[in-house]
Amino acid sequence: MLSFDLHKRKVLTLFLLLLFAWSLFGVNWQEGVMHSSGIGPAAEIFAAMFTPDLSLDILILAIESSWLTLAYATAGMSLALILALIIGILASGVLASGKRSRTYMKGSFRGVLGFMRAIHELVWAWLFVASFGLSPYAAIFALAIPYGGILGRIFADMINDVPEEPILALKATGASRLQCLFYGYLPSVKNSMISYTMYRYECAVRSSAIMSFVGLGGLGYQIQLSLNDLHYDEVWTFIYFLIILVILIDGWSNMLRKRMQL
Amino acid sequence: MSNQNILEINQISKNYERKIALSSLSFIVEKGELIALIGPSGAGKTTLLNLLATILQPDSGEVIVDGKPITQYADQKKRAKKIGIIRQQFDLVGQLAVIHNVLAGRLADWGFFKSLFSLFIPQEKQVAMKALERVGLPDKAYERTSNLSGGEQQRVALARLLMQKPEIILADEPVASLDPARADDILDMLTKIAKEEHQTVIASLHSVEYARKYFTRLIALKNGELFFDLPAEHVTDEQLQDLYQLKELK
Repeated sequence: MLSFDLHKRKVLTLFLLLLFAWSLFGVNWQEGVMHSSGIGPAAEIFAAMFTPDLSLDILILAIESSWLTLAYATAGMSLALILALIIGILASGVLASGKRSRTYMKGSFRGVLGFMRAIHELVWAWLFVASFGLSPYAAIFALAIPYGGILGRIFADMINDVPEEPILALKATGASRLQCLFYGYLPSVKNSMISYTMYRYECAVRSSAIMSFVGLGGLGYQIQLSLNDLHYDEVWTFIYFLIILVILIDGWSNMLRKRMQL
Repeated sequence: MSNQNILEINQISKNYERKIALSSLSFIVEKGELIALIGPSGAGKTTLLNLLATILQPDSGEVIVDGKPITQYADQKKRAKKIGIIRQQFDLVGQLAVIHNVLAGRLADWGFFKSLFSLFIPQEKQVAMKALERVGLPDKAYERTSNLSGGEQQRVALARLLMQKPEIILADEPVASLDPARADDILDMLTKIAKEEHQTVIASLHSVEYARKYFTRLIALKNGELFFDLPAEHVTDEQLQDLYQLKELK
C-alpha cells in the first residue's frame, strides 16, 4: 500500500514538472519579460551598489532615519509581545477548567489572533494613518497588531506542544492551573519564545522600514525619496544601513541564545 | 482499626474496549506498608496505579482512601496531601533549576503569588536544601534539571516528594530507565524515606529481584486478576515462574 502511494506521488511530481516545462512555451521571451528601456536604469542601480553616497549629510540623515525605524520596530514589538503573551496563553487553552470551556476558549482566542494577523501591517498602517494622521502611534499600532497575532499564534502552538508528563506530575503535586503555567508550560517554552521573538523583531525592523513608504518617516521613506530623485547612490546608503540594523539584531539574538544554553 | 487501613480497594474493574484490564480486584493496604506490584506486561499494573492516581475512573467498584471514597478527593490540593506520584524520569520540568522542581512539591500549600515570587527568590529554601541533602544532591540546587543524569533526576523527583509529604506514594516503574546500580540506589532511597516518614508505597516493578529486596509485600497481577498477595519472604520461585509463564501453545 505504502509503495503504491509513493509511486503515485512520483507520477504527480513528474506531471507537475512537465506542466512547468510546457508553461515556458507560453512566455513571450522577446518583449514580455523586460521593459526594453528598463535595462539602462537597472544597470545604473546595480552600478550604484558599489558607490554609495557617504557624504556627511546623507550619513546623518541615514543615522536619524535608522533610529526612527528602529524605534518604531522596538515600540511596536514590545506592544506585540505583551499582546501575544496575554492572548497566546489564553488561546492555548491551558487555563481552561473543563474540556468544553477549553475548546471554546481556544476557538475564540485563536479567532482573535487570526483576525489580527489576517490584515497585513501595511494595510493597518493605511487605516491608522487615515484615522490618526501621520503620527508615530499609527506606525506602532500598525506593527503591534499583526505581529501580536503572529507571535500569539506561535506561542499558543508552542505551549500546546509541551510534553504532557511533567505537567501531569505538577498537577499531581497539587499545582493549580496558573501554577502549572508558571512552573511547567512557560519554563518549557521560554527559550523558543525568546528566539522566535528575536527573529520576529528582525522582521519588524524590515517591516517598519517598508511602512515608512506610507509617509511615516524612517529608512523606507528616505529610500523612496532618493529613488524618485534618481539618486541611486543615496538609495544604497540607506539600504546598507537597513542591512546593518538587521545584522546587529541577528547578532544580539545569537548572543541571547548562547547565554540561554548555559 | 479502620484508620489503620490507608487504602481499601473493593471489587474494582476496568475495561478498555473489549479488553479486560482489571476484573473485580480487591485488597487492603495498611499504613506504612511497602508494596510491590509485579506481573507480566499488560497484567494491569499501570491501570491500577492510574486508578489510584485518579487519572482513570473504574468501571465498577470503589477505592477508599483513609476512610473516604477517592471520589471525595476531587480537590487536587487535598488529594496531593494524600497521594503522591513518581514515574520514570520524564516527570520534571527540564528547563527549570533543580530547586524549583523540588519546591514544586509545595505548590499545593502555596498561593499563586508566593509560587510566582519563588521563581525569582526561592521560598522555604532551607527545607528544599534539606530535602536535596537527603537525596544526596545538595550542590546541584541551581543547576538546570535537564543537565542532570537520569539517576540524579529521579533523586530530584524524590526530593519533590519529600516536600509534598503525601501519605501514599504511587511509583509507576520508578527505575525502568536506569541501570542496575542507579536503580538499586533509587529504590533504597525511596523505601528508606518512606519508612522514616511513615509513608505507604505502592510501586509497580518489572524486576522481581528488586521487589523482593526492598518491599515487604508483593501483589502479583496476571490478566487483570490477583495472582497472589503475599509477604515478600513467603513468595516462592515456583509461584514467580507460574506468574511470568507464557501461555502454553495448544
